[in-house]
Amino acid sequence: MAASKPEKRPEERPTGLVWKPLTTAARQFAKSFVRPSTILYPYERLEDPKFREKVAVESGRPIGVGEIWDNYRGVHALNIATCISCNLCAFSCPDLCIDMVTVPGGDPKHPKKCPQIDYGKCSYCGFCSDACPEGCLTMTTHYELSTPKRSEMVYSPQRLFENYQHKLPMNPIRLARPANEDAILLDAPLCIGCNACARDCPTNCITMLDVAKPTAKPGEKLPRRIWKEPVVNDSDCVRCGTCISVCPKECLFWGTHK
Amino acid sequence: MATTLYSVSDAISSLLLGAVGSIFPEPVHGWLTSTDVVTGLAVLIFCAILLVASMINTIMLIWFERKLLGRFMDRRGAMHVGYAGLLQNFADGLKLFRKNTFMPREADRLGYFTGPTAYMVTSMILFGILPVSSGWNGGSLPLSLLLALAVFSFAPLFIFVSAWSSNNKYSLLGGMRSAAQMIAYEVPILLAVVAVVILAGSFDLNTIVLEQQNYWFWGPLVVALFVFFVGMLAEMERIPFDLPEAEAELVEGWNTEYGGMLFAFFMLADYVRALIGSLLVVLLFLGGWTMPSYVPTALTSFPLAGIFWFMLKTYAVFAIFVWIRASLPRVRTDQLLRIGWMRMIPLALLSIVLAGLVVLARCLPVFGCVPTLGG
Repeated sequence: MAASKPEKRPEERPTGLVWKPLTTAARQFAKSFVRPSTILYPYERLEDPKFREKVAVESGRPIGVGEIWDNYRGVHALNIATCISCNLCAFSCPDLCIDMVTVPGGDPKHPKKCPQIDYGKCSYCGFCSDACPEGCLTMTTHYELSTPKRSEMVYSPQRLFENYQHKLPMNPIRLARPANEDAILLDAPLCIGCNACARDCPTNCITMLDVAKPTAKPGEKLPRRIWKEPVVNDSDCVRCGTCISVCPKECLFWGTHK
Repeated sequence: MATTLYSVSDAISSLLLGAVGSIFPEPVHGWLTSTDVVTGLAVLIFCAILLVASMINTIMLIWFERKLLGRFMDRRGAMHVGYAGLLQNFADGLKLFRKNTFMPREADRLGYFTGPTAYMVTSMILFGILPVSSGWNGGSLPLSLLLALAVFSFAPLFIFVSAWSSNNKYSLLGGMRSAAQMIAYEVPILLAVVAVVILAGSFDLNTIVLEQQNYWFWGPLVVALFVFFVGMLAEMERIPFDLPEAEAELVEGWNTEYGGMLFAFFMLADYVRALIGSLLVVLLFLGGWTMPSYVPTALTSFPLAGIFWFMLKTYAVFAIFVWIRASLPRVRTDQLLRIGWMRMIPLALLSIVLAGLVVLARCLPVFGCVPTLGG
C-alpha cells in the first residue's frame, strides 16, 4: 500500500527530515558509550598490541594498524663505534638540523664528534644517511616521535645509538654512494705546511710529506713555512671536505686528476 | 523560617560588618552595624553569590555540551585539562580574558562595546528573576514570568546594535537575521506561555511551580511544551535555528568582528541564554523544584534537594537541546518563518484551547473543585 503512493521528497516528509537524524544521532550516542572512536593518543597508541586487543574486546571489532613500507624513512640510527666524524651528514642536511657534538671516546686533542639530530627541523629526506661514507648513520622505519616537550625532539648521538642497539626495523634502501671523481688538489705554492688538514682528516688519509727546501738566490727571501706538503690517499678519502674547510691558506680545492 | 539565599547572605553580611566594625570606634561602628548598611551589603553578597553560581553553571553547561556533542559524534570531547576536561572551559575563558581587545577601524565605538555588554547584562538579569528553589529565590514578583520573557527577548536588539556597529557585511546580515528571526518565534512562545498561565492562574513563577505540585504541566500541555521548546531553540539561536550565526554562510554571523573578552561575552551570554531557556522549560512545564508525590521522601527532603532536582531537570532539558543540535541541519529563514507562523501558532492556539478545557475539566463535580481560574 505504501509502495503504491508516490514517493515524497525528503523535505515534504517531516519524519525524514527530523525524526531520522534524531534517531541516528541517538543511536550513535548510545554506541559511543561502549567506546568512542577517539584514541587518546599520547596515552593510547595503535602500535601498542595490548591497546589493540583492549579495543577489540570492548567494541567487538578489531582495529588494525597500518603497515609501514620497507623504505619508510623514520628516525635515524647511529652506530657511534664506526662513525668517523666526517661531518658529511651535517653538510648534506638541507634543514640544518644536524649538529656535530662531542661524544666521549675520542682522544683529548681530537674529540670525537657525532651527529645530533633535531627532529623538530628534520624533513626525513635521507640525504644524511646517503652521504654517510661509513654507513653508520641509517634511517629506520620507526616513526613514533611525539613528545610533549620541544627539547625532547633533539636526539643526541647516544640516543640515536640506542636506536641502533635496539635494532629498530631498518630502512634497507640506502643508495650506494656514487663514485666521486673529484679529488682534493693542492695549490702547492700557497701551502705553508701547517698540518691542519692532516690533523682534522677523519680517515687519516692525508700524510704530510717533506718537500725540498729550495736554495735561496742572493737577494731573494724564502717564505717562512714548514717544508711539508699534504698528500691525499684517494682510495681512503671519503670526500668529506674537512681539509678544505680547515685550510688556513685556502690552498686545497676540489678538482680532478688529469 | 526556612533558610533562603537572602538570609544566608544577610548572615554573612552582619558577620563581616560586625567583625570589621569592632576595629573602629563608636560612631563608625554604629554606622557599620546599622540595618541599612547590613542590608545593603547583604544585597551585594546575594548578587555576588548569584553571579558566581550562575557563571559556574554556565561554564559547566559549555563543558556538558562539549562532552555530549563529542559523544554524539563518536568522540570524547575535552579530555586533558582537569578530570575529563572539566576545567577546559575555565582555561579557555582565561585565555580569552588575556587577549587584546581590538576594534575595527571603521566600527562605531559606542555600539561596538555596549552591544556585547548589554547582551551579557540582560541575559544575566534573568538569574535574579528566575527562582531555582523555594530558598534560592530572587524575590516574588507578581508578573515575574512576563518580566523574564520581556528581558529575555531584548537580546536581538543588542545583537543588532553590535552587528551594525561592527561595520561588516557578515555581521550586519547576521544581525538582520537575528531581528527577523524574532518575528518568527516570539508570538508562538508567548501564546504557549498563555496556556501555562491559564492553567496556573498566575504570572508569578513561584505560583506556577507550586501549582505543579500535583501534576506537572507538560502532561496536559504537551503541545504547548513542544511549541515553547521549538520557540526556545529559536530564541537561543541554537542549531537548527542558528541563522544569525550560520558559520557556513556568514563566517561567524554577528560576532565576526569580535575577539578576546568581547567574544567571550557573546559566547558566555549565548550559554547563559541556553541555561535560562532550559530553566524556563523546567519552571513552566516540568515542575520546577517540585517532584511528584510517588518519589520517595528521602530523595526530596535532603538539604538543597530542590536545587539538585531543578538542576538535574535543567541539564536533562539542555541535553535534549544538544541532541537536536547534533542531529538537525540549519533551516532557511523562510522555512523558519513558515515553521513559526504556519505550524507553531496554530499549535499554540490549540494548546490554549486545551488549557481552557483542562481548567473546565478540573471544575467537573468528579474532581470536586470549585470553578475558579487557576484552581
